[in-house]
Amino acid sequence: MGFDLVRFVGEVDEELLCPICTGVLQDPVQAPACEHAFCKGCILEWLLRQSTCPVDRLSVNVLQLRPVPRILKNLLNRLYIVCENSNYGCQSVVKLDTLDSHLSECEYNPKRPFPCEQGCGLIIPKDEHKDHNCVKELRELVQKQQQKINEMHQDMATYRYEMTGIKDEMRVLKGYVRALRVCNPSVRAVADELERDEIERWSSSLPQARVTRWGGMISTPDEYLQNNIKQALIESGCPAHILDDLVKNCHERNWPSGLSSLETRQHNRRHYDRYNCKRIPGKQAVIVLPCDNIMVSDDMMSEPGLIMIFAHGIE
Amino acid sequence: MNNIATQRIKREFKEVIKSEELAKCSIKVDLVGDSYTELKGEIAGPPDTPYEGGIFLLEIKVPETYPFNPPKVRFMTKIWHPNISSVTGAICLDILKDQWAAAMTLRTVLLSLQALMAAAEPDDPQDAVVAKQYKEYPEIFAKTASHWTNVYAGGIICS
Ligand SMILES: [Zn+2]
Ligand SMILES: [Zn+2]
Ligand SMILES: [Zn+2]
Ligand SMILES: [Zn+2]
Repeated sequence: MGFDLVRFVGEVDEELLCPICTGVLQDPVQAPACEHAFCKGCILEWLLRQSTCPVDRLSVNVLQLRPVPRILKNLLNRLYIVCENSNYGCQSVVKLDTLDSHLSECEYNPKRPFPCEQGCGLIIPKDEHKDHNCVKELRELVQKQQQKINEMHQDMATYRYEMTGIKDEMRVLKGYVRALRVCNPSVRAVADELERDEIERWSSSLPQARVTRWGGMISTPDEYLQNNIKQALIESGCPAHILDDLVKNCHERNWPSGLSSLETRQHNRRHYDRYNCKRIPGKQAVIVLPCDNIMVSDDMMSEPGLIMIFAHGIE
Repeated sequence: MNNIATQRIKREFKEVIKSEELAKCSIKVDLVGDSYTELKGEIAGPPDTPYEGGIFLLEIKVPETYPFNPPKVRFMTKIWHPNISSVTGAICLDILKDQWAAAMTLRTVLLSLQALMAAAEPDDPQDAVVAKQYKEYPEIFAKTASHWTNVYAGGIICS
């Protein structure tokens, strides 16, 4: 729909009016043969009903509509129009082609979003501030969020239920694989290889580490520290089938003969100095895996690997 | 009523009121209430017709979808005319139906109605009885129409 004629300053030529809405042409297009011009919105609405020019009834359809000549656009753009927020106090009179940019920043626009200053800080259209009630708005917000939380609780219960099912299935599957492994040597070989691959993949994803202070070793970690290490291992993607054994191997009572006491450790210092170590992410601890340390002798290594925890000195 | 309809009717109402051309033809429009959805029209019977001297009142209802749909117009004054129902005042005129165009105005409609009164189209009748009489007994038709004008539209008696 066109702009109301009363908003314009000075005379507006009859040619610039839309014959349908009688306002000043907004977004004008013209019919192909007769060249009658209309607001785009107005003529589209009319063509929904009849495929004719509303002025002379010549045949016209939507696809035949054309842009109006530049001269007509220029004439329109030169018109001066009063801002539509004049009722709210805007006194701006702008050229028609700058109306949009004015409106986007017009301070008097009653719909301009504005943050509430009475406490809730919600952003609401300016004209709604008068009837705005922080408590009411926030209560609605809380209710909406409560509803969302309830929905999420329901989802969670569903997932938990599904997860239990999956865990059960896994247990059954694991048992099945174990049984297969025992009775069929070729399956055992394949399974062993898969597990080795998995360990190597995990190992190569961990950062290389260097121990600078072997003296800071904590060879008898308490349960709390062990759990701590276990959690870090899980997060780093440690293969499940070695996790528990690996965690056990962070205590000297499970270490091989070459490491099992302070004396033997001091004696074998030059050996473990050459360990190829991996860092447990975020911890002052390293993992020594057989696959990374093929040349190390049996009395300095145990399956599925060693964990050494330090007070400090890991790089 | 939507903005276009209101804006249009306001302008057209002013146009009719100010128009000297329409005053000369004795055409008037008045608002009914203040909503611009209903107006009252008034047409003087054209000279040299059986309607001369009569004043005919029209009911004009502006639909929500104006000007994309035509106004609904009906004679409130009883009239004897082939294209107007002698009972209900309903009008058979193409521009009030499928030949309506969005650029037409109250002015166009009222002038067309006056033209219709001056030149009936008996082949496209609204009132079959009147149309038959119009074609077969034009003199009786003229007398009846004139009588109706006199009785219902306050016209002078033609001899
Ligand atoms: Zn045209
Ligand atoms: Zn328009
Ligand atoms: Zn403004
Ligand atoms: Zn608030």
